[in-house]
Amino acid sequence: MGKLLENYSKKIIGEAGVAVPKNAVACSPEEAVAKATELGFPVVLKALVPVGKRGKAGAIKFANDANEVGKLTRELLEMTVRYFPVEKVLVEEKISIAQEWYLSIAIDKQAKAPVIIASLDGGVDVEQLSREHPEKVLTRHIDPFLGLAEFEAKELWSELGLTGKPLILATQALVRLVRVFLENDAIILEINPLVLTEAGEVMAAASVMSVDDSAMYRHTELAAMVQMGSERSWRPLTELEKQMVEVNELDPYRGTARYTEMDGGDIGFLCGGGGGSLLSFDALVSFGGKPANYSEVGGNPPERKVYGITKGILSKPGVRGLFVAHNITNNTQVDVMAKGVVQALQELGKDPSTFPVVVREAGVNENDAKEIFRTAGIEYYGDDATITEAAQRMVERLKALDAVAAAERGK
Amino acid sequence: MSILLDKNSRIVIQGITGREAAMVTKHSLNYGTNILAGVTPGKAGQDVHGVPVYDTLKKAVQMHGVNTSVVYVPPAFVYDAVLEGIAAGIELILIATENVPQLDALKFLARAKQAGVRVIGPNSVGMITPKDRVKVGAIGGDNVERCFAPGRVGVISRSGGMTAETSWMVKRAGYGVSTSVSIGGDGLIGSSLKDLLLLFQQDSETDAVVTFSEPGTHFEEEAAEMLLKGDFTKPLFSFIAGRFTESLPEGTVFGHAGAMISGGTGKPSQKMAKLQAAGAHVLGRFDDLIPLLQEILK
Repeated sequence: MGKLLENYSKKIIGEAGVAVPKNAVACSPEEAVAKATELGFPVVLKALVPVGKRGKAGAIKFANDANEVGKLTRELLEMTVRYFPVEKVLVEEKISIAQEWYLSIAIDKQAKAPVIIASLDGGVDVEQLSREHPEKVLTRHIDPFLGLAEFEAKELWSELGLTGKPLILATQALVRLVRVFLENDAIILEINPLVLTEAGEVMAAASVMSVDDSAMYRHTELAAMVQMGSERSWRPLTELEKQMVEVNELDPYRGTARYTEMDGGDIGFLCGGGGGSLLSFDALVSFGGKPANYSEVGGNPPERKVYGITKGILSKPGVRGLFVAHNITNNTQVDVMAKGVVQALQELGKDPSTFPVVVREAGVNENDAKEIFRTAGIEYYGDDATITEAAQRMVERLKALDAVAAAERGK
Repeated sequence: MSILLDKNSRIVIQGITGREAAMVTKHSLNYGTNILAGVTPGKAGQDVHGVPVYDTLKKAVQMHGVNTSVVYVPPAFVYDAVLEGIAAGIELILIATENVPQLDALKFLARAKQAGVRVIGPNSVGMITPKDRVKVGAIGGDNVERCFAPGRVGVISRSGGMTAETSWMVKRAGYGVSTSVSIGGDGLIGSSLKDLLLLFQQDSETDAVVTFSEPGTHFEEEAAEMLLKGDFTKPLFSFIAGRFTESLPEGTVFGHAGAMISGGTGKPSQKMAKLQAAGAHVLGRFDDLIPLLQEILK
């Protein structure tokens, strides 16, 4: 799921014929003042970060003149909204709002269809609204082949209570937004609020849009707007994570190696299989272990990918040992895993007698893998141990290290 | 019996000349699975390890009466391959391909449903019925017997790799599997936990089912409802991986695309509680499976 910043999503829906407030992007207070002067006062200033609920976070401000624009932009640029430092600000004309509505289009995985959620009570937390006043929220599924017919859009707004010109305009906007959703392989398109202006126009005042990264091959123009790799994390990528994305992209079609840094922790975590990694992490935690990262390798990665990610895992400060585990592999060659891991350990001068490494790798070419790991002095298990048993050994090895250190201090 | 696959399955591979599909073909033939035909446009007349290749699935159906298809084509071509399968009258389509666009999945799943065609996946590593030595997909690799022994326990897993590991745990406990199914790790898949539990319920040769789950989706909540309603009455052993993700901020993706926590739904602890309350044997640690199976199935 790739998130788009609001300036991009507004550009896309604007081009599809849905009215949006005039806007411009600014990177400094001076630039914001210049842009605001062009747009005309008053203006709205919004932190351009890929997270929702910015209003609640105080990341949306209103300015009446150039002084206020400068001061408030400076404040915004110093903020961090849900882990994202604000680097850009969206400067927007302030529109006069008569009514605020809610509209979103998303994929209902249970019903296996796109779904529209709409309400005439906009600008609010829709989850809360649907809990407290379910009668005020309407949902409609969309036929993925046919899209939304105009009459269906009309029925929806009419049922909610619109009539007259607002009904006609809202119908038009909804049909166009559904088209945007389907044509861009969106995962979510939320307009909160969709507004009726004092002048009688229907306008998308705020928009949130995410697109399907699996479909980016057919949307090169969109791909440039999304930071790939960012969709898996709740905060911007760390330097180490960015490096690991590069390691993975070096051989894009041969296996995957993903890396997510945790706060703190001392166990380097190199595990494989999507489910196998989740299980391994839970197992370490259940025995009192603290992984320093999460990782997922699989799909038979080449040696340099394994080597690259192992080096990355080991380079995080505070890592005192390495846990390497996989479910019994269907196609991943575990001897290749072994070569990559051992090379990285040796290059970084990690001696398995003082830097515990516990491995559980069974599957394709495991006899060679066993040989490579054991020759390097590494505690190796194949299918003579379960993943959980190996995780327990890892935690025990670190505890033993602590005991030795404590004994040393006691002397 | 078993579910979905047995010695009467007539198997075709779409995209058979690709590197991975060719390897899977070889491993499947070595295991004893009869693969009747393959399809790759423009390559009619060739063969892959002795399996004849056709340009169209229609032709493969005419020549061999195939009814079960495995899709190994690249993501951009999956949509068309599935529609081709539906049009050709295939009854069961397993999609191995990963990273299929969601909108494509919505469309072909809708078509398959209309046509009454069962879809497994996308992003499934395969399924296997060891009694008949029939497997489709990469499942088991070149050493199938290591993990998959014939028996009377059904296995359903979100994770491909853990389909093998779970079946191996069943074997380690002294049992075997009737059918093991990797249902696929994507957010949108053809057959959910519930769909397969219904089949296992009807299968006279399955005594119990083990499931391996991940965060996200409503699958386990649906399964719990089935248990409460009495729609599934055999012992159900469930493990839900990814409990650690609950302590992290929302919106983080771990494991498969489907394993996303959002809005409080799909949390492992919640799934575990629901299943437990519905009478399933919920595993605290994965290794608990072995003693529990032995205790309940003895």
